[in-house]
Amino acid sequence: MPELRKDMLTGRWVIISTERSRRPDDFHSPAPVEIRKENLAFCPFCPGNEAKTPPEVYSIRNDDSEPDQPGWEARVVPNKFPALKPGPLPPRKTRGSYQWMEGVGVHEVVIENPDHGLEMADLPLDHLADIIRIYRQRTVAIEQQFHYQYVQIFKNKGREAGASLSHPHSQIIATPIVPKRVKEEIYGAERLFRNSFRECAICRMLREELQAGERLVFKNDSFVALTPFASRFPFEMAIIPNRHSAFFRQISDEEIVALAEVLKEALSRLKTELSDPPFNLVFHQAPNPQVAEKAWPGIDFYYHWHLEILPILTKVAGFELGTGFYINPMPPESAAEYLRKSEQPRT
Amino acid sequence: MKKILLIEDDLALSLLYEEELKNDGYSVVVAHDADSALELVKNEPFDLIVTDIRMPGKDGIELIANVMGLRKDIPIIINTAYQSYKDDFMTWAADAYIIKSSSLDELKAKIKELIGN
Repeated sequence: MPELRKDMLTGRWVIISTERSRRPDDFHSPAPVEIRKENLAFCPFCPGNEAKTPPEVYSIRNDDSEPDQPGWEARVVPNKFPALKPGPLPPRKTRGSYQWMEGVGVHEVVIENPDHGLEMADLPLDHLADIIRIYRQRTVAIEQQFHYQYVQIFKNKGREAGASLSHPHSQIIATPIVPKRVKEEIYGAERLFRNSFRECAICRMLREELQAGERLVFKNDSFVALTPFASRFPFEMAIIPNRHSAFFRQISDEEIVALAEVLKEALSRLKTELSDPPFNLVFHQAPNPQVAEKAWPGIDFYYHWHLEILPILTKVAGFELGTGFYINPMPPESAAEYLRKSEQPRT
Repeated sequence: MKKILLIEDDLALSLLYEEELKNDGYSVVVAHDADSALELVKNEPFDLIVTDIRMPGKDGIELIANVMGLRKDIPIIINTAYQSYKDDFMTWAADAYIIKSSSLDELKAKIKELIGN
């Protein structure tokens, strides 16, 4: 019998299609198709081509190297042709019944390492920790301006996930409004805190998940990787900090190292066990504290930042788009079991 | 005289651009697809490339990547009717991304900024 499962924060329902469920092996990605543009001798993110990017706003580089020259380990540059452009807070305007505003915001690209072929899953732990430190630094820097209300950190890996270039990179987009999905999650967390649990819903869920263990993939002292109860996609994972905090920017240096370990484990297991599938990595954090603490008093108590890893192994089609329901043919318990075994040699 | 390579698959548009840019004092060579443009880049020196993106055969993005493999120093202007290609980071190889319009003012200003006249 299929199960309908509800995501407690967003209220979104998912059909876990146990009757149509497939074996984990069925989800192996086909051999990666060579991106035709990359058979060519140029990548704007590779060392030596710094002049093709806008001037860097942050970098980790050798002491003796100059900005916008080779010698870097990671670079952050503004998007050359950004979706949103920096500027002062634009007023909301109307056009007939419609609302609109100028497209003000921040759009940055994090070039994660100089090696075109070295994916996030393959980075040494200290380098992956550096990338997470960059995410924290950019969040804090961007949020100094209160009208950048929400900072979205994300990574698209693989063409099916929206990446146009395989040189490892992630993106940061800050918007002058708090996006609808973020608000839904905050309102959901607040509702559960006030009306049901009297504690952070994610803290409570984490306790239950650690006790049950059936959706657990990997954990260390500070972070847990698990397959969510109402996973929308096969092998979807959440990475959740043990320490309650609404704001990713509050992550400590020690926690960054711990997050790097769990993130690397999660991505490596996906890569090894599912033949390197395309995926989206999405941060969920509270809005800019200058906004959040006024708009949502008490958000520190009821919201809990986390990451999502969303492998692209199935297609979203008319039913999902029309209803917001998702059909997941891979029960998260089976997905977790498969990924847990990853550390063991298979016969 | 500065020499521009113009890649545009629409014949009428290419004639219009060619005439306008020649009137501004540039030497203009026109190619209607990426492969013939690449042959030209291999064999002739150009001061600037203006290219469309959506074309039969290789698209402008692939053309740009190929050109960069031959000559990284040549300025490129993308001149397309579509915003959506901005999501493709290979467009960063270009120096400007212009949305086609009935006026050539923006294109002309950008050419002047990049190579003078």
